[in-house]
Amino acid sequence: MSYLDLSNIRKSFENETVLDGISLSVPEGGTLVLFGKSGAGKTVLLRTIAGAIDPDAGSVTIGGQDMTTVPPEHRGIGMAFQNFALFPHMSAFDNIASSLTSRRMSASEIKRKVQDVAELLKIDHVLTHTPKALSNGQKQRTALARALVSEPKVLLLDDPLRNVDAKLRFEMRLELPCLLADRGATVVYVTQDYKEAMALGERIAVLDQGNIVQIGSPEDIYKRPANTEIAQLFGDPTVNLLDVVPQEDERGLHAFLSDQRVDFHGDFPGVAGRDCIVGLRPEALSFTQNGGFPVTIEAVTPFNEKTVTLVTTLRGREILVSQPAQSTVPEGPEQNITISAQDAILFDRQTGKRLEPVTTGERVEEAA
Amino acid sequence: MDHTSLLERWLRRFALALIVTFFMFPIFWIVLMSLQTNETILRSPPSMAFVPTFDNYLAILAGRLDSNVASMGIDFLNNLMNSIILSVSSVAVALCLGVPAAYAFARHKFRGSEDIAFTLLSFRFAPPLLVLLPLTLYFQQIGLADTYLGLVWVYQLICLPLILWIVRGYFEDISPDIEYAYRIAGHSWFATFRKIALPLAGPGIAAAGLLAFIFAWNNFIFALVLASADKQPVTVGALAFVTASGIQYGQIAAAVVLSIAPTLALALWAQRYLVEGLSLGAVKG
Amino acid sequence: MTDTAMPQRRELISPKMLPYVLSLPALLVCIGILIPFVTAIYYSLQKYRMSQPWNRGMNWGENYLKFLSDPDFWNTLKVSLVYAGSTVVLELLLGLAIALLLRKRTPVNNFISIMLLMPLMTAPALAALMFKLMTNPNFGILSYFMQVLGFSDFRWGSSPDTALFTVVLVDVWVYTPFMMILLLAGLRSLPTQPFEAAALDGVPRLEQFWRITLPMLMPYILTAALFRLLDSIQQFDIIYAMTQGGPGDTLMVFQVEAYLNFFQSTNVGRSTALLLILWAITYVLSNIFVKNWLRLRERARGGA
Repeated sequence: MSYLDLSNIRKSFENETVLDGISLSVPEGGTLVLFGKSGAGKTVLLRTIAGAIDPDAGSVTIGGQDMTTVPPEHRGIGMAFQNFALFPHMSAFDNIASSLTSRRMSASEIKRKVQDVAELLKIDHVLTHTPKALSNGQKQRTALARALVSEPKVLLLDDPLRNVDAKLRFEMRLELPCLLADRGATVVYVTQDYKEAMALGERIAVLDQGNIVQIGSPEDIYKRPANTEIAQLFGDPTVNLLDVVPQEDERGLHAFLSDQRVDFHGDFPGVAGRDCIVGLRPEALSFTQNGGFPVTIEAVTPFNEKTVTLVTTLRGREILVSQPAQSTVPEGPEQNITISAQDAILFDRQTGKRLEPVTTGERVEEAA
Repeated sequence: MDHTSLLERWLRRFALALIVTFFMFPIFWIVLMSLQTNETILRSPPSMAFVPTFDNYLAILAGRLDSNVASMGIDFLNNLMNSIILSVSSVAVALCLGVPAAYAFARHKFRGSEDIAFTLLSFRFAPPLLVLLPLTLYFQQIGLADTYLGLVWVYQLICLPLILWIVRGYFEDISPDIEYAYRIAGHSWFATFRKIALPLAGPGIAAAGLLAFIFAWNNFIFALVLASADKQPVTVGALAFVTASGIQYGQIAAAVVLSIAPTLALALWAQRYLVEGLSLGAVKG
Repeated sequence: MTDTAMPQRRELISPKMLPYVLSLPALLVCIGILIPFVTAIYYSLQKYRMSQPWNRGMNWGENYLKFLSDPDFWNTLKVSLVYAGSTVVLELLLGLAIALLLRKRTPVNNFISIMLLMPLMTAPALAALMFKLMTNPNFGILSYFMQVLGFSDFRWGSSPDTALFTVVLVDVWVYTPFMMILLLAGLRSLPTQPFEAAALDGVPRLEQFWRITLPMLMPYILTAALFRLLDSIQQFDIIYAMTQGGPGDTLMVFQVEAYLNFFQSTNVGRSTALLLILWAITYVLSNIFVKNWLRLRERARGGA
């Protein structure tokens, strides 16, 4: 059953529409990741849930109660801000305790709760410091502790790892899902980093220009992105997008990349002969000794866990190939690569939207 | 990296010495004068050689002026007291009225907020007599003439715009997120105002208050028009004192020193904030 | 899920009304001040002398029309403009020169700039009094200096020839530091790259000043000059404390003339009409000023 419901939320600032009728629901204890580029409206949406911004239209329901006009202090939520928003004139302890002082709670109980959450987040040794004396990582943990300490039923996290260094972000990316799962809160998590989105989300909502363009599981969005833009946002190295005009014969819809035939499984009525784009994940490509098609290796970039190779086809198209680090790039510039065809994604070139195969076969259905 | 010649450096030093002399000399001279008896003041040519005496100050503090000609009562202490009462209460009132309004203007862009803020600012630039002259007639009718209350009210013309515009800038500098964070932590807007906005804008409020105090203290025209002798602050009182005491120049000098000392001391103490305050926040110090 | 609706707490003041409630007291106080302003307009359209209450009545624009052929009015306008113009120009030049001298942040420079604040913090009326003592013909130190320099008959504020010079001197003494600290803050906030580049290219310092410093400092100069112009054209304290507008009508600037009209000749109509003309001048100036000032303020906040 859903715990947090947004229905048709609209907001504009000075004639500029920031949220264009957003509806969402998150089940009790569930986690929803709001993903999108900056300016997509993620932060405004989060603030609308928090009550810091009043929507022009629509309603916010938390735990079955209409909260649209309830001031932020009575919504029973916790929130961590992207810029931490710590109170600069209070110690880390007082920052965290501020979430408890408005309740009827004894000083000793407050102290115990702050101590507990600080230990959990490994900041118990800096509780007497003011924010100025904290490292970025400690600030971020203090902000998180402040959001967590009152055990809110709804937890809003606004890109909390944005302003911390790469090492800490990596650690927290591993740590956060367990932490959030333990609290049992309903979580809305805003991020611009697709890895974070994939690591956390049971469900990811992709926001663009105030609209939700896709909601789905991480796997869903990775394998069946609603459009080329989402396909590019998810995945590193980015997806290869190649212009094709697919044809149909007795074996079904297919296209030729150089000489290799790529089959698209399922019925795509009306797609044959249309201008399309095929999306190939770099992981779906591999070097081969026999078959495939010839390419020239241009550049090899080794990372820790993978090796990314830039190759050009005979027609001069550039393609990225990603392999696990242990497999070696073959010697010599002239090589063949092969495509694992079931991973190819087909998009309409005009709209950029993904073409979904239909089994009933009436019309081309575009991805929702 | 500085290729200044020796000549240029000496020219600079000379220019600076000249400037410091020009701006410091009057204060220096008036202090010297206040420590002299009339006899040494009137010596010609003037000389720096004299035995300093605090008689002038003592006479003012005692409220009695004894010369070899006659003895008269002086009320300059009363003027000093008036200056303190008027300036302190004007600033207190202006803070109580101005700080919440500044917060409203900074945080909530409500309908007409900019127009209202500008109307308040425009008081700073309008000729004060335009308001003061009709006000004398009104004050007589409603019984505010020659009262502290009436004066403090009119002093808001100087203090309120100053506080409103300086403090507003400080409130605007506080990230709204910090306030949202406190609200979300379960506190009302008023608790947020008290525990977050006020402490964080504290230095700005203090600076604006100090500056408002200095301007109120230095004001001349309001009290000249609206106050009679027993409510006059030092600025007006000193002028009257000149006429009353005739040739007691030492005492006049001592009165002037006593009148300018508080603002000078405050200014030196708070000089860090003065630049920003004087330009109403247009220039960061 | 069971409906455990917690009672929605009523806010004492609705959030929409909050800003109005917060700013209302300040507004009320100011509205009280706006009433006399309207009254002043009304008086300015009247034939109104307090000494002749029986002779009071509307004469509409007559007070203003009379100004056209009134040599006293033209004198007032001239003196006010000359006073404002000369003080602002002198203070600007002097202030800029001092700011340039103190530009580098050294302990000595900082100390001097703090010292120079003291005249600015002196009440202008008291500053005038100080200069009155210093120019006293019997013991005034400045009078003595003039004698030493050979001007035995230099009578400062009491001679029509030198009265303007004397009050301008006091104004310069009090307000040059204002120009100085504003321009100094401006100078010190300028980006350093253009100057470093110019120094590397071997651009002469004088040319650097004309081509880089001055144009970049222009917004500050404009704001400071307008600010001072607005105050200076309304100067009252210094002139009234020094000479009460005299000798004769030498220093009859707007506010002094209006003050004496009101309290000595009790001509309320003429006095308020004069002030309204002054108000019109300051209104135009303040609009220009506020535009400049807002731009500068935006920059200061953005850069902070």
